Amino acid sequence: MFIGKEKIIPIFAMILLLIGIFSSVYVYATQVNTDTITINGKTYTIDQIFSIAEPRTFESLNFSGVALDDLIIKTDVGCPNCHKYNIIGEDRYQKTVTWDNMKNGLLTKDGRVIFSDLPKAFRVRNVVKIEVI
Amino acid sequence: MDKLKLFAGIIVFGSIWGFAECIIGPALNDISLPSGAIMTGFFAIGLMTMSRMFYKQRGMQLGMGLVAGTLRLFNPFGGCLICSAIAIVSEGVIFELIWYKISLDLKELKTLTMRLSMGIISAYCCFVGGYIVTQILTPLVSSAGFYVSNLVVFMPQILSRGLVAALIGGVTIPSILLLKNIDISSIKDKIYYPTTAAISILCWVVVIANKMFLLGA
Repeated sequence: MFIGKEKIIPIFAMILLLIGIFSSVYVYATQVNTDTITINGKTYTIDQIFSIAEPRTFESLNFSGVALDDLIIKTDVGCPNCHKYNIIGEDRYQKTVTWDNMKNGLLTKDGRVIFSDLPKAFRVRNVVKIEVI
Repeated sequence: MDKLKLFAGIIVFGSIWGFAECIIGPALNDISLPSGAIMTGFFAIGLMTMSRMFYKQRGMQLGMGLVAGTLRLFNPFGGCLICSAIAIVSEGVIFELIWYKISLDLKELKTLTMRLSMGIISAYCCFVGGYIVTQILTPLVSSAGFYVSNLVVFMPQILSRGLVAALIGGVTIPSILLLKNIDISSIKDKIYYPTTAAISILCWVVVIANKMFLLGA
């Protein structure tokens, strides 16, 4: 049986709305709120991170924080340039970067990661986890 | 339709879209409104629907996306420049694909249900599709590379954020289709070309001047 555009289009619109609604419910139910950041399985507060890692500033970008490469070294990750790093935000936004990118990255006091050598899409907000892969 | 008239239409509508993305989008973002969803659901879908209604030409909205995306690259404000430009062009492509089977006189969109549905479908698909395309292409042009897992875990967020765009689009298209249809080919050349040129130039000048001002500041 042939179904015309007059029926298919409203049904498709309803399906898209339902996808949006169920996704919103899922996102709300699974969101993570934490003041700590887990790096390679160990949990740190932002103050602890700022006390162990060297500061770094990107003057042209107007951002300052701690150096991501130094943070990885200070948190006892062996052979840091042998790995890639998953930076994960509280909204599950995540980006995978290389050690070379980490050498051009910083973590701000408000938990934001900035890379001077990558597009702004790599700026992860409210970081909750840095996975070593 | 005269090809030159159509070309001028692509430039003027694309420039207005690009201007909105460069100037209004970041302003919405600054006051913590969902700028991406508003830009897609209201400005992008509104302008593309309006141009389809007035010019009755397929392919025009893709051209508008290219013009708006190019203008977006000139803007130093807001989020990722390259991702925004890619997303805008993608929205033009997706709109063309969705509207391909809709007749140029829009006779299918007589009822409010159909108008509302097309608004929801167009806005949701453009927003989600643009978001996905940019999440794939932006890492590919960077030194970090693209990882499917990064996109997969963030898909619920993308699908969720599209809901706002869809609801806005559901209001935008019925509203645009209430406008009086204008026969572009009946507008005299001596009025049409200076007007489209002036609006386009104004959009570009404001965006470029804005960039110069910020670079100098």
